[in-house]
Amino acid sequence: MRLGLVRSELTKILSTRLWWGLLIGVVLYTVIQSAASAAFAGLDPGAGQPTTPGLESPETLRGIYAAAAFSGAYIFALVIGVTGMTGEYRYETATPTFLATPRRVRVVVSKAIAHLVVGIGYGVVAVLSAFLAGGLVVLIRGNDLGLGSPGLWRAVALAVLAVGLWTLVGIGIGTLIRNQVAALLVAVAVTFLVEPLVSVGLYAADLEEVGKFLPSTASSAVTSPPAVFGELLPWWAGALVLGGYAVLFAAMGVWLSVRRDVT
Amino acid sequence: MSTTTPLPQKPGLPLEVRALTKRFGGVRAVDDLSFTVPPGRVTGFLGPNGAGKTTTLRCLLGLVRPTSGEVLVGGRAYRDLDQPLRQVGAALEAASFHPGRSARDHLKFLAQAADIPVARVDEVLATVGLAEFSGRRVGNFSLGMRQRLGLAQALVGDPSVLILDEPANGLDPAGIAWLRGLLRALAAEGRTVLVSSHVLSEVQQTVDDVVVIADGRLVTQGPLVELERSQASVLVRTPERDRLAGSLREVRPQSTVSEDGADALHVSGWSTAEIGRLAHDQRLELHELANEPGDLERLFLELTQGVSR
Repeated sequence: MRLGLVRSELTKILSTRLWWGLLIGVVLYTVIQSAASAAFAGLDPGAGQPTTPGLESPETLRGIYAAAAFSGAYIFALVIGVTGMTGEYRYETATPTFLATPRRVRVVVSKAIAHLVVGIGYGVVAVLSAFLAGGLVVLIRGNDLGLGSPGLWRAVALAVLAVGLWTLVGIGIGTLIRNQVAALLVAVAVTFLVEPLVSVGLYAADLEEVGKFLPSTASSAVTSPPAVFGELLPWWAGALVLGGYAVLFAAMGVWLSVRRDVT
Repeated sequence: MSTTTPLPQKPGLPLEVRALTKRFGGVRAVDDLSFTVPPGRVTGFLGPNGAGKTTTLRCLLGLVRPTSGEVLVGGRAYRDLDQPLRQVGAALEAASFHPGRSARDHLKFLAQAADIPVARVDEVLATVGLAEFSGRRVGNFSLGMRQRLGLAQALVGDPSVLILDEPANGLDPAGIAWLRGLLRALAAEGRTVLVSSHVLSEVQQTVDDVVVIADGRLVTQGPLVELERSQASVLVRTPERDRLAGSLREVRPQSTVSEDGADALHVSGWSTAEIGRLAHDQRLELHELANEPGDLERLFLELTQGVSR
């Protein structure tokens, strides 16, 4: 893969204003989630619910610093992946792009790499936001930051990678549905509405073994956070499943792009 | 990085369209089309809207997969070219720019993808007269500015072959004159220049050769001067119009003679000298004898409507 081609795709992403708009979203959403999970950890939720583990618990700390960063950023990574691909069709920049590089496999692979880089950047910013916001709340509550907590750094690194991989899911969806608005609606609706509903349905039907493998659920397993309901996959299995989805969607992007007429 | 990138002189490459057919669903957009475009000349690719010009160009550029037949640039398929932007520069009809991206960034990502020095971007923006707008977002560009940016995109790789789809759309008269000069200069350097248009008069003063298609099929191909010559006729004014017409038809039954008003004839298939000699031999009085240029616009309409439907 030529470096120039990846640079070209990075130029495309960074030369319109969308990327930093989404970055603001990453920061705000992560700050809210991280601060909230730090604020409510270990408190009695009332109504007879079991008390969640406190701020000393390693899994709570992974939730504040890693899981909140992942769930605060991955939707924006998905969105930048979707628009990165659908924008080529919406604004017909696919034409000059494929004129410069008629081997379309190279274009899509370079696009995937460039988006992975930007997605990882989002992940890093999300993690930093989580450390700042979550860490502040932890300190305010009079606890230790807990940066030496078992499994924390592994969870943080995997959260960053997982955010990056979600851009590839976006690229795949964007190739499948070329209409930008429709693709965005479907991508966000499936991850935010359909998957949680399916997940709850599977849990209710005693099929949580299947539910664990849904994309968002499997992804959140990489940080081994406190389980909300049901068991998550072990972190390594979550990472493998997410990697599988990313490869699958990216491959679909390549396959469809290569065959299509650009008119 | 120097401000001027050295441009190696390279000969143009011929374009060959061989038995090209493209079907979209049940519609034959291009139907068994064959023609060649030689280097060193400006070739007009003409046909009414919907004749299949854009589809042919998109097949040529590897954007659309032919149903059958092949399209070659210097003997190779577009996708097999080593450095496509350095060999072929194209600006297609629909200007394909992200409205939120600056002109400079648009060309920059192309240059990066094609391993062209980014310094070339500013050079080519200056060539098309957009230097002062290079940082402005394309969404604010007029149609004429977009056409110029499209041209800059085609020129960024300093290509041997230039393919422009309806490049004069949206250009003002000064812009059209400038474009004409540029295309002539590029062809004079030995490059291949193919310019499509649905209006003959738009390219008439620019092109050396024409390829005319209608309904996806070839109508005629050749040098413009030959097409003009085939259409040229002689105007004769004589008070004895009917006698002269009769003689002309009698001597050369294959020539065409048409009456115009009370005393004029339009004759093709005869030179002025031949008509003068005939009139002299038959002692006919002539008031006017002159060459008439062919009406290419009318011919173009006839050619392209003849095959329609």
